[in-house]
Amino acid sequence: MKATRVFQLTALALIVVSAVQVGWWVFDQRAYTIEKAQAARALYADETRAAQALLAAGAGEARVRELLPDIVVDAGQARLAPAVESALLTEAAHRYRQYAWEGSFFLLALALCIAVIARALRAEARVLEEQDDFLALVSHQFKTPLASLQLSLETMALRPLAPEQARTLIERMLADLARMELMVTQILESVRLERGRVDLRSEPVELAGAVARLLGALEERARGQRIALTSDVAPGLYVLADPLALDVIVRNVLENALAAVSPVGGGSIAVSARAGNGEVELSVRDSGVGFRPADGARLFEKFTRLHPGGGSSHYGTGLGLYIVRRLMQLAQGRVTAESAGVGQGACFVLTWPAAPVPRS
Amino acid sequence: MSTPAEDARRVLVVEDDPHLAAGVMENLRAEGYEVASASDGRAALEWLRNENCALIVLDVMLPGLDGFAVCRTLRDEGNNTPVLFLTARGDPADRVRGLEAGGDDYLAKPFHLKEFLLRVRAILKRWDWYRNASATAATAALSFGGNEVDFRAFRARTWNGEVQELTEKEAMILKVLAEHAGEIVSREDLLERVWGYDVFPSTRTVDNFILRLRKRFERDPANPRHFLTVWGVGYRFLAEGEP
Repeated sequence: MKATRVFQLTALALIVVSAVQVGWWVFDQRAYTIEKAQAARALYADETRAAQALLAAGAGEARVRELLPDIVVDAGQARLAPAVESALLTEAAHRYRQYAWEGSFFLLALALCIAVIARALRAEARVLEEQDDFLALVSHQFKTPLASLQLSLETMALRPLAPEQARTLIERMLADLARMELMVTQILESVRLERGRVDLRSEPVELAGAVARLLGALEERARGQRIALTSDVAPGLYVLADPLALDVIVRNVLENALAAVSPVGGGSIAVSARAGNGEVELSVRDSGVGFRPADGARLFEKFTRLHPGGGSSHYGTGLGLYIVRRLMQLAQGRVTAESAGVGQGACFVLTWPAAPVPRS
Repeated sequence: MSTPAEDARRVLVVEDDPHLAAGVMENLRAEGYEVASASDGRAALEWLRNENCALIVLDVMLPGLDGFAVCRTLRDEGNNTPVLFLTARGDPADRVRGLEAGGDDYLAKPFHLKEFLLRVRAILKRWDWYRNASATAATAALSFGGNEVDFRAFRARTWNGEVQELTEKEAMILKVLAEHAGEIVSREDLLERVWGYDVFPSTRTVDNFILRLRKRFERDPANPRHFLTVWGVGYRFLAEGEP
């Protein structure tokens, strides 16, 4: 156990003990006040009886008042003076109020301390748990492409293969390597975002050029998976963004679309853009597996990997769309996802603030 | 539907990663097996309700229904097809879960191709032997001490009239012992015949199974008359009971 944790737990225990002490103090003081009031009343009762005895013995009212100033004689009957009676009540009420205020103030302060420490402890536990989950998930994610690579290589080592079989295996291995490389990139990006170590610029970026470059890099892979990539982004649309972050965002959305289309044996991915209201929208529409409309928000949470069956798929780290959302938030933009349901394809819309067209 | 002879060389591969599934299937085909595939647990169960195969290569982390659940469902439905689990989690607890779910063997990803093929061959060989050894009406049944065992149905009616379902391993051990009735069979022989090589490293496993068989079939399991211990060597099975 870490030293800070030991310290936190000790402080928590001390505060809980203090709270119990305060509670006990309030209770004890109240009992003490009751006891004192009863003693005072007993004393006054004695005085009243004494006054009555004096009266019975023939002492005058003036004599009685002189000897016992707290007693009044009213029509031959001795009783406690109303001023003393009310002073007794006021004193008791005053003390009760004091204990109630002081006691609840301290209890409130202590409860606040307990809440703060408990919160810190819980947050720490959650971080540790998340890290464990993350490590388990990441190592598990890597094992599948690793197993596939090893299998391909050992197949080549085990038996002579026809040239086209060898070709297939080589392509498979290259795709496995690309999968692992993407995972590494996403993990590093998400860790950087998590730690807040991002220093994003905000400058006009021409959307059509960036999209064309990214599509060009994915074209061959898309062709191999029988996916038609089309783009309808008019040149001259500028958004206010960090050029590198914009690349990461669009690439992740496109990777996600590829991963959604390839399991259904091919299809299409269409990119389009439009400007309006001081914003620029980039839409990526795919004909892939889609998702339940209710899962639209969950998609962007860390480690969410949706599968047509409702479970999680082996593909991806569950980080790609999380990175997209974080980066869009940092860029004062937003991202939304829509699907009519499983098997109905999906549409991701990225919205940035529009930038004025640079003069140069 | 296919003929039993074809079924005996057919393997069902249940794996949702397309590359891994393709690699495994190509290698099995190259070894002369006939291969079918399913990419998730439900599809596998659906296929198995209509078709037969000699072995299921089952990934554990499947979308929807996981591999363990698929295996348990099969066993609950009375399907005894052997299962070889493939999984990315290779820790011992997971291994035990796999074997408890009714799996025959367990391989962690990434695995060696030769080892995979060896294990496939070993499982099929054990089952070929078991099937052949229970092929005729005479060899499919065993009676001793008032117990009636049906090796093909994995079922027995015991001396007290109870009907008991046997696990595959119990049936196989009983088969080995019955084939060598009256002879001493060593623990190592039993391990080799029933489990293959290194799935269970301990001969204690065999002892536990013998205890289970005694509990099922002996009138007084503490003083066995059919499943006898030969100290320091192994076991001897006597069909007629020790005099």
